Amino acid sequence: MAETENGNDKANKGRTGFLPIHTNAFDRVFIGTVIFVALHLLWMRFLEAHIPLYVATLLSLLIGAVIVARG
Amino acid sequence: MRSNTIGWLLLAPTLLILTVFGVVPFVYVLVVGFADWNAFAADPTPHFTGVENYRRLVFDDQFLSALWKTLGFGFFAVASEVVLGYFLAQLLMKDVPFKGFFRTIHTLPLMVAPIAVGATWRLLTVPGLGPLPYYLERWFGIEFRLGTYADQAFVTTIIMDVWHWTPLVTLTLLAGLATMPKEPFEQAQIDGANKLQIFWHITLPMLKPTILATVFIRLMDALRTVDEVWMLTGGGPGAATRYVGLHIWRVVFPKTDYGYGAAMSLLTLYLTIVMCWLLYAALVTRRELPKAE
Repeated sequence: MAETENGNDKANKGRTGFLPIHTNAFDRVFIGTVIFVALHLLWMRFLEAHIPLYVATLLSLLIGAVIVARG
Repeated sequence: MRSNTIGWLLLAPTLLILTVFGVVPFVYVLVVGFADWNAFAADPTPHFTGVENYRRLVFDDQFLSALWKTLGFGFFAVASEVVLGYFLAQLLMKDVPFKGFFRTIHTLPLMVAPIAVGATWRLLTVPGLGPLPYYLERWFGIEFRLGTYADQAFVTTIIMDVWHWTPLVTLTLLAGLATMPKEPFEQAQIDGANKLQIFWHITLPMLKPTILATVFIRLMDALRTVDEVWMLTGGGPGAATRYVGLHIWRVVFPKTDYGYGAAMSLLTLYLTIVMCWLLYAALVTRRELPKAE
């Protein structure tokens, strides 16, 4: 029982970075992925005529890395 | 170590089923979403086209319009179901005569297949045959024509969904209400709290997980509604009730544009997941924020 509780504690171990919610590693990767997709879709709709999509990829990877590391 | 092995062995059938019926189809759709594939064309092989389907998608006015309509439909249907379901659950919590009978009767719509619900509502609303247009015109002077007026068609699809799924919401909220401890309510009454204060400060916070789970289930269901609406309006008049599920069906089956259909399905799935997560983050995770030191 104690082992299970410790396991759960370990799994739920999270922190509060600059994001306004308490997150664990999975949450931060998820948020990074959501932003990655959203940024690409919005870029294709509004900016791709002027700036290539690779910029969106680089930008979203950068944002994702910051969120995973410090979010 | 031994208990770990037994644990994995017990989990294995579930993991296998989940992988075969959940993960593999998802990955398949993900791959198809990046391809141009028409199985009935002269060249039936799929061709990798990168993000071309998604580029087409963000400029597709018909799809975006279907998406907005679906969000509107989901919002109004789920909100109505939760409010109505809560009042019905409170009603069924009281000791009224024939409570068991009413509880059984009110869950009957849940047992009807969606396609039959659509067919039933179609019969109810056909002008010249169904009772609804007849009585609306006779009693209120309202000309009810589903095939002509877009607003009426939209509202009728919502009412049909509410009729079909409110019992599910009622049952889940009833379960939530039944498991609540009595002490906090008694204490609040002793302290002189009125009904609104009791609802806002005790019932609602304690019922929040149940409401959240119900909203998740209903929102996901509402965003993929196809059969009921297909039977009732066929997506019309025009494209007034062509919700995203119907729109995807029209692209995938009659036009056999599988790559584009997969891209649309994935975007819809993405939006559904994001909305559910935002709801969860706003209602649950924020609450767990540690206090600033």
